[in-house]
Amino acid sequence: MSPTLSVLAVSVVCLATLAIGAYGLRLSRTTSDFYVASRLVTPGWNASAIGGEYLSAASFLGIAGLVLVAGVDMLWFPVGYTAGYLLLLVLVAAPLRRSGAYTLPDFAEARLESPTARRVAAVLVVTIGWLYLLPQFIGAGLTLQIATGAPRWVGAALVGAVVLASVLAGGMRSITLVQAFQYWIKLTAIAVPVVFLVAAWRSDGSPLPDDASWVTPLHAFEHPLYSTYSLILALFFGTMGLPHVLVRFYTNPDGAAARRTTLIVLALLGVFYLFPTVYGVLGKVYASDLVESGRADAVVLELPERLVGGTGGQLLAALLVAGAFAAFLSTSSGLAVSVAGVLSQDLVRSEVHRTVGGRIPGVRAFRGASVLAVLVPFGLSLLGLQLAVADVVGLAFAVAASSFCPLLVLGIWWRRLTPVGAVAGLVAGGGLAGIAVVITLVAGRGDGWSGALLAQPAAWTVPIAFVVMVVVSLRTPHRVPRSIARTMVALHAPESLGLDPPGRSH
Amino acid sequence: MSTVGRQDAQVPAAGGDVYERVHADPRYVELRKRHRNFVFPLAGLFLGWYFLFVLMADYAHDFMSTKVVGNINIALIFGLLQFVSTFAITMWYVRFADRKLDPLADELRNEVEGGAA
Repeated sequence: MSPTLSVLAVSVVCLATLAIGAYGLRLSRTTSDFYVASRLVTPGWNASAIGGEYLSAASFLGIAGLVLVAGVDMLWFPVGYTAGYLLLLVLVAAPLRRSGAYTLPDFAEARLESPTARRVAAVLVVTIGWLYLLPQFIGAGLTLQIATGAPRWVGAALVGAVVLASVLAGGMRSITLVQAFQYWIKLTAIAVPVVFLVAAWRSDGSPLPDDASWVTPLHAFEHPLYSTYSLILALFFGTMGLPHVLVRFYTNPDGAAARRTTLIVLALLGVFYLFPTVYGVLGKVYASDLVESGRADAVVLELPERLVGGTGGQLLAALLVAGAFAAFLSTSSGLAVSVAGVLSQDLVRSEVHRTVGGRIPGVRAFRGASVLAVLVPFGLSLLGLQLAVADVVGLAFAVAASSFCPLLVLGIWWRRLTPVGAVAGLVAGGGLAGIAVVITLVAGRGDGWSGALLAQPAAWTVPIAFVVMVVVSLRTPHRVPRSIARTMVALHAPESLGLDPPGRSH
Repeated sequence: MSTVGRQDAQVPAAGGDVYERVHADPRYVELRKRHRNFVFPLAGLFLGWYFLFVLMADYAHDFMSTKVVGNINIALIFGLLQFVSTFAITMWYVRFADRKLDPLADELRNEVEGGAA
């Protein structure tokens, strides 16, 4: 791969990101601009921004890598990433918008009237955010290493620096522009080389993978039916609990626009995900040696040189490097904004706020928190964990599905949920899924049933979280929040009734 | 955090608390019922459809591994069609919300705001 071209490609993406961020800075003047872009973003832009934010390292590099390693079963990843939006839309999006809560901790406190619930939700947001940021940095290090031979930390540090600069500068308004732009970079970067790759493959006599088990479903995992169901549950129910996804629904002007946005998002994601599949299949034919060398995540980057070759191959590879960096930057920016928001609002300065009485964190506190939000996962990425990026993202989904999914679904639809029940469920579900994640991250995927249960925890941790929330709530009926009737009306009555959102009247 | 764009939309409390009036309105009850009765079966159906697909891959093995072109088998094609089914179900929900939820919500809103002004 040509280091010069790759460096050029990475520089263009980074500089364009910073330039658009700086342009957005001039547009964002108020705190609401900073957090939710004043709800002034049209569905087309917003959908591009959601797509841009959502298509992370896992989507751009990871899925092709997993398909290469494990075959067609891995198509559940893109299907699940997409389908999670549907459940988010129908079950929680509209009531959550009406609640006026910008973040998951906001929702927890408004619905449950409990600072403890808010604090627990904040810890979970930060955990999930860091878990999701980690593979972005791992992917960036890997990509820059393949492209230029630079040590792993360089790519991660570059992404961290650019993300910090754009987050510090612009907040959500400029991030929306940056991310919309990055969706189209990613789609172009992954689609254009496919045309050339498929042409080269056809002139090569269209060889197909000759591994029968690779194209047979339910062969990738040791306990295939359990693992597949568990993965589907994690991805379907986890999307609604991802901190950077939820806030996007506030940048729509109204509920109808939010629904339009979701439809466009599904179309944009569906189109995008066709391409990593093609890379995975071609990789099985032309680059299966990457599996043995443990670099399956690099298959997208390696194919152009192997199939097309020459200057053309180098140009296409540079385009893919640019797309991969767009993926790292956009997802990391959105996550960093969300994690920093929660850190500054709830975990670092909450005591100060309580005494001052304000809820709006100062922009300065937010900036300090941004540094922390980026530095922690950057540091973790240097530990040299040998993990497929899409697997780590899958674990983040499992934690989200086992904690925020029950909180949101029960909080919105079941009036008897109590703060005690909610906190117990969050701790049980999120805690168990978190322990499973840590064991898998540190010790690698184990064998047998224990390995399957730990590597794909959602199928048992999601039901546990629901059951704990329901049972503990039923046993603490006296703790149902006093103004539950008002809260429920605010969640389910039409928007802009002039109702004061719950938990904010004091 | 203050709620953007809502501070100036306070409804004067004429004739009882606005929450109580909305809560007691039969249209609000109907709105909640419609929403709930649509989305929960929809979510269940959707999840069931995916689980059934996985189960078919396990038990209807011969059918699913029928080859269409080269090694491209029915399972692979069905897998990609899951995107289409997700999109179709979302379209269904959007139409439902546009036709059955929004008009009722508008009616309720006009009533409450009109009564308050």
